[in-house]
Amino acid sequence: MIVGDLKPLEEIVSAIKEYKQILVLGCGSCVTVCLSGGEKEAAQLCHELSKIKHYGGPPPKLEMGCILRQCEEDLVREYQELPEGTDAILSLACGAGVQTVADAHDPLPVIPALNTTFLGASAKPGIWAEMCRGCGDCVLTFTGGICPVARCAKSLFNGPCGGSQNGSCEVGLDTPCAWAMIYYRLKRQNKLHLLDEIRGPKDWRPGGAGGPRKRIRLGLGDGSK
Amino acid sequence: MSYFRVNKNCNGCLSCVENCPASALTYKDQENRRTLLHNMTKCARCGQCWRVCPQEAIEFQHLLVGQWDDVVTMDLIRCQVCGEPLYSPAYQQKVFDAVNIDGEPLCPLHRQRRAAPKWPLHISR
Repeated sequence: MIVGDLKPLEEIVSAIKEYKQILVLGCGSCVTVCLSGGEKEAAQLCHELSKIKHYGGPPPKLEMGCILRQCEEDLVREYQELPEGTDAILSLACGAGVQTVADAHDPLPVIPALNTTFLGASAKPGIWAEMCRGCGDCVLTFTGGICPVARCAKSLFNGPCGGSQNGSCEVGLDTPCAWAMIYYRLKRQNKLHLLDEIRGPKDWRPGGAGGPRKRIRLGLGDGSK
Repeated sequence: MSYFRVNKNCNGCLSCVENCPASALTYKDQENRRTLLHNMTKCARCGQCWRVCPQEAIEFQHLLVGQWDDVVTMDLIRCQVCGEPLYSPAYQQKVFDAVNIDGEPLCPLHRQRRAAPKWPLHISR
């Protein structure tokens, strides 16, 4: 699931203050679940942004909306109405949603209210931790289901570094060492031999360094975008 | 038939309503009755209600696995020879208007056979 955090209020205010009428648009999927950008957060943000104290003069007119997913252009075009006179959208979606809404309503300015951070999972309620970097060449088969790319601070592939102490990463005591976790998981699986196998260097090309990636599934629409 | 179901332990404390990230739960207090309401179109099935309920009253499994709802029922035209389902009358109208062929309802196999009845079976297939 995509996780994001609300931007500092001052940053949002400075981005929106030049506009007269703004649609504050929440997203009903990932950012709702991680309590960053859903309908409630959009309403709260609307309420806060309407306070005169943030602006030199009168605040912009704010309207609130929320749609199930902002990351599908046809859905947004068809089912998200723009109130008459809207001159900008403040989107609480992840970066994918912000950009899709911007494409759908080009050239209307669409401003992000969130900093999209990572692909995460929730082991405990209220806590979302980074799990996946979308590297495009998953090695979880060999690491007992624990990702060394996302969960090792150095994305090491050959075991822990010298900074690993008592199962913690040198980054901080509350960050577990991914390789310690991998070792103990493989031990519980009786698969420590996987650590002895030599594997070639990882191909990082599917990982995004070569430009924005695409998935095309033929047979649905014309697959042109 | 609801997806959001609670068991007898629900005491109307409204913890779920207050904690729903999608505002998909609400309540109505009328005279001496309280009703809990759920909106499936807003529900993200995040499970926060299920987690927060002090009485463990929410049967979340019904939001995960549920029954099939009837959507629409219409007439069906079948192949005159073998009975294979073909299309609805409206679909037949649309296709035959577009391609201007005769309206005999036949499945692909029997349509082929009728077009070339003298050919041996293995060739017409």
